[in-house]
Amino acid sequence: MIIDKRDICALLDAIGRDEQVYVPGSVAGVTQFVEHEPGVEPLLDVRTTKVPPKELLFPKAERLYRWKTHEGHLSIEQADVASRPFTVFGMRPCDVASVERLDQVFLTKGYVDEFYQARRQAATLVALACERTDPTCFCDSMGGSPTRAPGADVVLRDRGDSYRAQAQTERGQRALDAWRAAAPDAVRDDEPGEAPDAGDDARVTCSLTVDMDGVAQAMPGLYESPMWDDIADTCVTCGTCTFVCPTCYCFDISQDTRAAEGSRYRCWDSCMFVTYTQMAGGHNPRADKAPRVRQRFMHKLSYFFDRYGENLCVGCGRCIADCPAGVDITRVIDRVGAEAAAMRGEVAVDG
Amino acid sequence: MTANLTQQIRDRARDLLQSGTVSCFIAWEPARFEHWRTPVTIESPDEVDRIVVDEWCDQLIAKYALQRRGDGRIGMVARGCESRAVERLVADRQVSRQDVYLVGVGCTGMLDRDGGAPLKKCEECQRRNPVTYDEMVGETVEEPRPYRFGEVDRIESMEPEQRRAFFDRMFSQCAMCFACRNVCPACNCRSCFADAERVGWLEKDFGLDASRYWGLMRAFHTGDRCIECGECERACPMGLPLMTLMHKQVRDIDRLFGPYEGGGLSDAGPDPLRSYRTDDVEEFM
Repeated sequence: MIIDKRDICALLDAIGRDEQVYVPGSVAGVTQFVEHEPGVEPLLDVRTTKVPPKELLFPKAERLYRWKTHEGHLSIEQADVASRPFTVFGMRPCDVASVERLDQVFLTKGYVDEFYQARRQAATLVALACERTDPTCFCDSMGGSPTRAPGADVVLRDRGDSYRAQAQTERGQRALDAWRAAAPDAVRDDEPGEAPDAGDDARVTCSLTVDMDGVAQAMPGLYESPMWDDIADTCVTCGTCTFVCPTCYCFDISQDTRAAEGSRYRCWDSCMFVTYTQMAGGHNPRADKAPRVRQRFMHKLSYFFDRYGENLCVGCGRCIADCPAGVDITRVIDRVGAEAAAMRGEVAVDG
Repeated sequence: MTANLTQQIRDRARDLLQSGTVSCFIAWEPARFEHWRTPVTIESPDEVDRIVVDEWCDQLIAKYALQRRGDGRIGMVARGCESRAVERLVADRQVSRQDVYLVGVGCTGMLDRDGGAPLKKCEECQRRNPVTYDEMVGETVEEPRPYRFGEVDRIESMEPEQRRAFFDRMFSQCAMCFACRNVCPACNCRSCFADAERVGWLEKDFGLDASRYWGLMRAFHTGDRCIECGECERACPMGLPLMTLMHKQVRDIDRLFGPYEGGGLSDAGPDPLRSYRTDDVEEFM
């Protein structure tokens, strides 16, 4: 299916009549996924939005249940887990890859998170393949590709004045059928005989590359390495990297208590925060910065790999761009590689 | 900043480390991309060639001294902002002045690593030269003392509803990442109220009430100690115009209790919001 760029807004208006559509937009200068408003052009030229689309599936805060006591009787009201169908339009391949990681966490290994599952099943993911990359992009070093988004229901590819939409799942095919029905003037069929475009890893590449070979395996051996003290020296342990990360999924459960009623909710947490591992008795196993910094990189690059066979970093580069102290996960990866080589007794040779 | 400043600082850092005057030296080193810098703490004279000091050193490094307390004297490069931060830390009893050794440099302002435009915090800077130092490298620079209350004027001229909307919109984008606090030299509490174990001091629901409460509490708590370095605003990943609240307080303090130029200046006198006089202004009562 072909969609002329000038008709994108009309198509989104039409999809938006039946369900919520989220598109890249800007609020107070912060690029993020926003609900499409009729007539408002989405910012499809933005590559990675400042805020990832993670919260559409895994909200920053989500009520689990409400409670109330009345004349000595406690009543509990479960939160509604149902979600109405919605479309996320214009996700970059790294962000689609991040959803695949979240799926692993919230839907596999015998654990199903019903809140996540309800949103996930309601979501149609429409990817927008990248024609260019940012200097901080390194998805193709992390098992991804700027031009492919295998986890998406539909993938859009830029053809200059138009996008070509291809369904990759049954849900995606149903979406294209629905678009055709809802906005027949905004879409047209592919040119006759036009072959499916599966993306081309060689056509668009990231200038930033890292060598991930052996990194996940080497990291446990570097648990006591002084490199974590060095990185922690620079890190200010704010939560920026974890909150702009499309795959960081750690949460806390907190409560809002008002006299005889209240609610419990889960909310994003950050392993960078000192409170993250604070225990009731006062002990904190990660009271110092270095163990917290180590935990984040261990989780991204080793622990998750052990459990799921993939890295928890998709190479979107947001943490690199936004870290106020200039901490850079790709430099950490380089350092892990160098330390591991040194431990194996290999001598690094320049040139 | 002069072209050979990096070399001069490296030479001084090497001497200071070699002679044992300092146990470490805080500066910047190049990061992965051209014009990107990251703070570095050098401990060995053999490592000083990692240091770079130029117009791309966007982070304020003074607060890194706190994590080196007790290890011996801490050396660092001190521009106007670092020197004011040290004054702040000394006034707050976080370090004593002789715990740090300041290699002062006159600063003509930092540039944005991605476009080369002057950083906003530097365009508003009131002290480009260090207000305290142990030695100077290079010449002092002119002090243009630019007007920094333009945004405050604009917000003050708004109708109350408009102003409310401005701040609600601003705080609605807060990520609650606490980068503002963690880079702020005036935020030096050992334990922040936002990290209080008891549930309920600060809601964790990322709602507007929580972020507005956080932002205002932090602004008030640092109000008469803010050194106007602008690091909170630079560090904020969401681009919140946090300095509007700080500049507003500096000017209010000047008008109500003045003369007052801002925190971290040796000649600023007692901190105005934490000293009490019976003839204090009470126009809000």
